[in-house]
Amino acid sequence: MTDRSIAEPEVISAVEHLDAQALRRWVDQGWVLPHRDGENLLFDASDVARVRLICELHYELRIEEDSLSVVLSLMDQLYEARCHLNALLSAVDAQPEHVRAGITARIKAKG
Amino acid sequence: MADPYEVLGIGREATQEEIRKAYRRLAKDSHPDLHPGDKGAEARFKEIASAYDILGDEKKRQRFDRGEIDASGAERQQPEREFYRQHAEAGPGFKYERRWQGSGPEDEDDLFTQIFGQRRAGVKARGSDVGYTMAVEFTEAVNGAKKRVTMADGKTLDIAVPAGLQDGQILRLRGQGRPGLKGGEAGDALVEVHVAPHPIFRRDGNNIRSVLPITPGEALAGATVEAPTVSGPVQLRVPKGSNTGSILRLRGKGVTSPHGKGDQLVELRVVLPAHPDEEFVRSLTEWEAKHPYDPRKQGDQA
Repeated sequence: MTDRSIAEPEVISAVEHLDAQALRRWVDQGWVLPHRDGENLLFDASDVARVRLICELHYELRIEEDSLSVVLSLMDQLYEARCHLNALLSAVDAQPEHVRAGITARIKAKG
Repeated sequence: MADPYEVLGIGREATQEEIRKAYRRLAKDSHPDLHPGDKGAEARFKEIASAYDILGDEKKRQRFDRGEIDASGAERQQPEREFYRQHAEAGPGFKYERRWQGSGPEDEDDLFTQIFGQRRAGVKARGSDVGYTMAVEFTEAVNGAKKRVTMADGKTLDIAVPAGLQDGQILRLRGQGRPGLKGGEAGDALVEVHVAPHPIFRRDGNNIRSVLPITPGEALAGATVEAPTVSGPVQLRVPKGSNTGSILRLRGKGVTSPHGKGDQLVELRVVLPAHPDEEFVRSLTEWEAKHPYDPRKQGDQA
C-alpha cells in the first residue's frame, strides 16, 4: 500500500485546496515526511492521506496552522497508542485461555 | 436519506455563514480521523458532508429548496474515500509515530519497544525525529540570529534563526535526530521556536506595529521625534495636526521574509502631562468653553 511513490505535482492536483507553497511549508515543518530524492519529494499513500486530512482541518474546519501542530501532535500520539494497544490486544488474544482469563480478571480488579 | 437541514441542525432560513459554522462544528465532532475510537464517526461524517455538499453551495441549496434535487442528490459526487486512520492504524512502526517527543535514549527500552523491538530489528530504518523547543527574542526573530543550543544528548548545535521567523515555526535540522538502524539515515531534529513578546513591537504579518506617545503640542504643531524600530531608533516626522490613532508608516522597517519586506506602522498616542498644572488646565477648559466639541460624535472634531 505504501510502495507507490507519488510526485509533488500529482499530490497537489489530487488534493482539494492544496497549493505548492502550503505543501512545502508543511514538509518543512515536519508535518508531512515524504521521501527525498535529491530536490524531488516522493510521497506515499499515507503521506497523501495525511496531506488531505491537514487540508480538511485547515481549509474546511478552519483550524489555524498555529493550532494544527498541536492537533497533529495529539493525533499522532493517539494513533501510536492505539497501534500499540491493538498489537497488545492481539498478543493477548493469541494466549491460552487461562492466560487470557488471568489478564481479564486483573484488568477488572484494577478498574 | 435525512433532511440536510436536520442533519446540520439548522432552520430553513439559516444564512450561508450559519450553515458553514454548523458544518464546521459538527465535522470537528465527527471527523473519523480525529475520533478513531468512535465507530459511528465515519457514517455521521459522511451524512454531514453530504448535507453540507447541498446546503453549502447556494445554487444547489436553492435547487433543493425548490424540490429539484432530493437529499441524496449530492451523494453520487462523493466517491468512496480513504481516511487517514486506515494508514495510521496499520500497525506499530508507522512513520508518523514518535515525532514529537524530546525524550532521551532511556525511552528506547519502554515496554512497547521491548515487545515490538524484535520485529523492527534487522530492518534498515531511518532514525526517528527528535523535537525540541527554543526561545528567541522578538528582535532575533525579526532580524535573524545565530543560536547555540544543547541537545538532550549533550551535543551542541548552532542554529541559524532565519530573519522573519514566526512564533511556533518549526526548524528542521536534517540528520540531527536519532541515528538510523542498520545503516539507515539519521532522523531530523525539529526545533519549535517560541518568540518572546516585545514591550513595544507587535508583529502583524510582515508589518510591525508600535505605539508612540507624543505631547499635545507635538501633535498640534508637528515635530520630529525619536521612534524605536527593530533596527534601532530613527527620527520620525510627526505631521502638524496629528492625533491619537494617526498611523505613520516607516517603509521597510518591518519584517524581511521570502514574501518581501514589511513596514513599521507607528500609531500615535497623544498623552497629557501626568501632573498638569493649573495653567494648562485653565487654558484648555477656557478654550473648550468657547469652542465646544464632542469627540464622541462623528464629524464633530472642532
